[in-house]
Amino acid sequence: MSSQITRRPTGARTDLTFRAFLALAVGKAAARATQMAGRGGGTAITGMVARRVDPHILQKLVLDRGEPVVAITGSNGKTTTARFTAALLRGEGVTVSHNSAGANLVQGVTSLAVSYADLRGRLPTGVLVAEVDEGALPKVAPELAPRALLVTDLFRDQLDRFGEIYAVAEAIESVAAALPPDAALVVNADDPMVATLASEREGTRVTFGLALDRSTDQITRAADTIRCPRCQADLTYRHVYLSHMGDYKCAACGFERPKLDVAVTSLEVVGLDATRCEIQTPSGKLKIEIPQSGVHIAYDAAGAIAILVGLGVSLEHAAESLASVGPAFGRLEKIDADGRSIVLAFAKNPTSYNTTLRALATEGEPRQLLIAASNTLVDGEDFGWLWDVDFESMAPKVERAVVSGTRADELANRLKYAGLSPSKMVVVEDRGDALEAALRGLPADGRLVVLSGYTPLIELRNEMRRRGWTGRYWAV
Amino acid sequence: MTERSRTTEPSLPEPSLPEPRRARPGHRDHRPLRIAHLYPSLLNVAGDGGNLIAIVRRSEWRGIPVEVAAVEKGETPDFRKFDVVLFHGGQDVEMAVAAEDFAKKAPSLREAVDEGVLVFAVCAGLQLLGHRYISNAGEEMLGAGILDLETRGGPQRFMQHAACRVTIDCATETVVGFENHSGLTELGPGCQAFGQVVAGAGNNGKDGLEGARSGNVFATYLHGPVLPKNPWLTDRLIEIAVSRAEGAPFTLAPLDDELEHHAHDVALAKAMANRGRRTALEPARLVRGLKK
Repeated sequence: MSSQITRRPTGARTDLTFRAFLALAVGKAAARATQMAGRGGGTAITGMVARRVDPHILQKLVLDRGEPVVAITGSNGKTTTARFTAALLRGEGVTVSHNSAGANLVQGVTSLAVSYADLRGRLPTGVLVAEVDEGALPKVAPELAPRALLVTDLFRDQLDRFGEIYAVAEAIESVAAALPPDAALVVNADDPMVATLASEREGTRVTFGLALDRSTDQITRAADTIRCPRCQADLTYRHVYLSHMGDYKCAACGFERPKLDVAVTSLEVVGLDATRCEIQTPSGKLKIEIPQSGVHIAYDAAGAIAILVGLGVSLEHAAESLASVGPAFGRLEKIDADGRSIVLAFAKNPTSYNTTLRALATEGEPRQLLIAASNTLVDGEDFGWLWDVDFESMAPKVERAVVSGTRADELANRLKYAGLSPSKMVVVEDRGDALEAALRGLPADGRLVVLSGYTPLIELRNEMRRRGWTGRYWAV
Repeated sequence: MTERSRTTEPSLPEPSLPEPRRARPGHRDHRPLRIAHLYPSLLNVAGDGGNLIAIVRRSEWRGIPVEVAAVEKGETPDFRKFDVVLFHGGQDVEMAVAAEDFAKKAPSLREAVDEGVLVFAVCAGLQLLGHRYISNAGEEMLGAGILDLETRGGPQRFMQHAACRVTIDCATETVVGFENHSGLTELGPGCQAFGQVVAGAGNNGKDGLEGARSGNVFATYLHGPVLPKNPWLTDRLIEIAVSRAEGAPFTLAPLDDELEHHAHDVALAKAMANRGRRTALEPARLVRGLKK
C-alpha cells in the first residue's frame, strides 16, 4: 500500500487572484493579531476575515487545487476522531494539516486552509483533515470535495439550530450522495440512520462499529433512533453499545446492521485513563491502547482506522500512533492546579453528557463540581435537552456544585429537580468567579470536576491558563 | 395565589374557596396521583420529559405520592384510571408513527376527558388532540378531535423563546418556554386558547393565541420544558388533578421556588428581547434552505 495521497487533477486555474492573495494575507494577519493579544487561537477569526475579503478563498485553496481532504462530521466524536486520523496518517508518513482546536464551522474550516497555506496559496503536500460541523457540512463540502467523508453518529444536538435530527440527516445524505466517485464514504454502521446514508452511491464505502459479545449500554431516553430508518418499525438490538448504537435488526423489513469492515472485537475501559481494544481490519487485527477513556473512544479509533482503509493508506504504525493521542481539549482532560487536581469534561448534548457522567461514575465522581452552560451561536439557545440528561444518577454523589454560565438558571433548576439540594449549590454566572468559588470550597486532596458546554469551557480554561496551570487550548 | 407575584403583572384576587386541606410534608394522606406518560420513547425531544419530572417532584415535595405509567405504542389502557395524561412533542417521523397508534388510544382518552381527567399536551401532542394535521404535501393525519382545532404545515419553523399570559381559575400569570414548530394551528369555537401571546409566534404567528384549552385539557406549543420553569402552572395542574381525584378543592402548600423563578425570569427576558421576530437563530434558515 502506498502512503502518499496525490492531488486530484482539476482544470481550474491555480494561480491566486489578487483578491485571494489579499484574503490569505489579511486572514493570516488577523490570526497573528488575536494570538498576540492573547484572545484565543484566532481559530475562527482567520477564516471569517479571509472570507470577507474573498468568499471563494476555501474553494480556491482546496477544491481548485485538488487537495486531498478528509472531512469528519456527525453529532459526537468529531474532534477526537479527527485527532486520531491525523495521528494515524502522520504515523504512516503523511503530512497532515488539521484543525485541532475544533473550530468546525465554515469560518473554522477556512481558517484551517488559510493558516496552513503559504502566501502563494499552496498547502503542504499531504492531507487536510477537517472536522466539519454537521450544520455547516452542506456549505463546506462543495468547497472541499473530500477524498473521504466520515459520519460518526447522529444524535439530537441543538434542535434549536437544526430543527429536527431528520433535517440534519437529510443534509448529510445530500452531501454523501454527491461525493466524487474517487471518494470513500466512511460510516458508523452501529448507528442505524448513519448506516443507511447514501446507500445507493457507487464508490468506496467503509463501515465500522463494535462487534462485542456483550452490551455496554442500554437504551435510554437520550436515544434518538430506535426505529428502523427504512420502515419505522421498532428495531430490536442483539447488543446495545452506546445509546442507540449497537447491533440491531428490524423484524418487520429485515434491515439489519451492515457487515463491518473495521470492527472492535474486544474492549476494556480502564478508569478515566485508558481504553484497550482489539480492532479487526481488512489487513489484520490491531491491538491498541489509547490514553483516553470510554466506549466512544473505541468508536472514534475504529472510525479513524476506517478512514485510512478508505484512503488505501497502510496501518503499519497504527498502535503506536494511537497510543500517543491524549485527551483533546476538555475531553476528561486532567489539569494540575498548584497541586490540586481538576478534570475538564466537555458535554454538549444528552449523549455526550451521559457518556461523560458514566465515565466519571466509575471513579465515584463528580463530588466537587463546577458545571456551566451558556447560550451562544456555538452552544445553542435552547437548553431543554438538559432535562434528558441523567443528572439523577449524578446527584447523590455531588457534595458541592458551583453552577455557572449565562444559562446557569436552567442548569441549577434542572439539578434541583434531579435531586441535588439547593443548599449544595451556588450559582455564580461569571466563569472566573465561579472557578474561584469552586476552588475555594475544594478540600486540599479533592478533585474538581468541571462539566461544561463549549464556550464556558474555553473561558474556564483560559482562566486556568492565566493562572499558569495549562497551555493554550488550541495547542492541546 | 401561592406564588410570589411578579412585579409586571397585576393579578386578580383569588376566588373564595372553602378552607383548603394542606398537605404536610412526609405525611401521606393522599392516594397516589396516577400519571400516564404517552409515548416516552417515541415523543421525547427537547426535554419535554422535564414536565413529568416537575409534576412528580412538586407533588412528592408536598407529600403526594405519584405513580407513573409509560404508555407506549400498542398499549391501550383505560385512561379513566389515571389522574393526569402527559402527551409531549416529537419530530415529524415519530409523530406520524404516534398518530397511527393514537387512533386506537383516542376513544378511551375521550372517555377519560369527559370524566375530567387532566391532560397536558405539548406541540405534536396538541396537534394530535385536534381534528387533523395536514402536511405541506397535503397528507392528512387524523387526530383525536378532543380539542376543536386543526393544524396545517407551515412554510417556516418558529424557533424562539416565547411567553404568553395564562389564566386559570381567575388567576393570570406569564408562562414562558421555547417554541419549535412549523405547524400552523387554528382554533375552532369549541375550545379556547391556552394563553395570549406576549412574545413569540403562538399557534400560527397571526392571531395572538397560544395553545388550546378545553376543560381540564391543556395544550401548548411551549417546550423549554415548560413546567419546570413555570411552577405556578405546574402547581395549578397538580391542584386540578388532585381536587378531581379526591372530589374536594385542594390547594398546595407553597415551596421555596427561588431557582424556578430565576429560570422563569431569564427565559422571559430572552423572549421579550426577541419579541417581534419569528426566529431567534440565524442558522435555522441555513438548514431550511437545504430542504429543496
